[in-house]
Amino acid sequence: MIGQKVERVLCPVCLAKFKYDPKWKEEDIVICPICGEKLKLAHKPDGWTGDRVDRGQDREIRERADEFARIRGYVFNDMKEEVLEGLIGKNKRFKDFFCPCRMLHVPEYQCPCKPTRAGDVDVNGKCYCGFFWRMDAVPNPVPPPPRAGR
Amino acid sequence: MAATKEKPTVYALSTCPYCKRTRRFLDEHKIDYECIEVDLLDDKEQDKVLDKVEKLTGKRVFPVVIIGKEIIVGHDETKLKKAFNL
Repeated sequence: MIGQKVERVLCPVCLAKFKYDPKWKEEDIVICPICGEKLKLAHKPDGWTGDRVDRGQDREIRERADEFARIRGYVFNDMKEEVLEGLIGKNKRFKDFFCPCRMLHVPEYQCPCKPTRAGDVDVNGKCYCGFFWRMDAVPNPVPPPPRAGR
Repeated sequence: MAATKEKPTVYALSTCPYCKRTRRFLDEHKIDYECIEVDLLDDKEQDKVLDKVEKLTGKRVFPVVIIGKEIIVGHDETKLKKAFNL
């Protein structure tokens, strides 16, 4: 409707805002449609935000990556576990899941990194770290597992 | 068996899975090499090494393997095999 303000939810991982569904309520668990992170909704003075759900670093990055791949229709290859290990290494050292193959550890390189969210995989066949792949660009694709219950 | 007597150098990131594969490949082939994990260096040393890598390769990507005058950028087993006559 013209003039009606669309409420948005801030994702603390990709720092983007996605559309708020009026059916949602505080403490609901939702998935950021941009990066795939699982978020617990909270209404704060400056609007809706999603808080990261504490579930251990391995589960958090694995679930985020799988969800992002499902959303975009991407796959992994046989490097998946090794890249996850690198992401966990970055998290241990720099307190977040930054691209394991980059020197920099800045918010835009939080996995899935900004270039990946902007479509690098569609253009180049894979992301910078060779974690996410376009289906036709990888010989032995490893699809993300089916979504588990939230 | 390495084609050169000079000890090869690997510039790597400690978290990079491709760097790990390169190191594993060299280990499996019993190739003696020096590995510099660039991300674990202190700031001053890191800047120095990054400048060197950029000068050698034109970019700051890893792994970089230096075998004498040959430079291999990225994990490439075909190039490694050729460089070490494997």
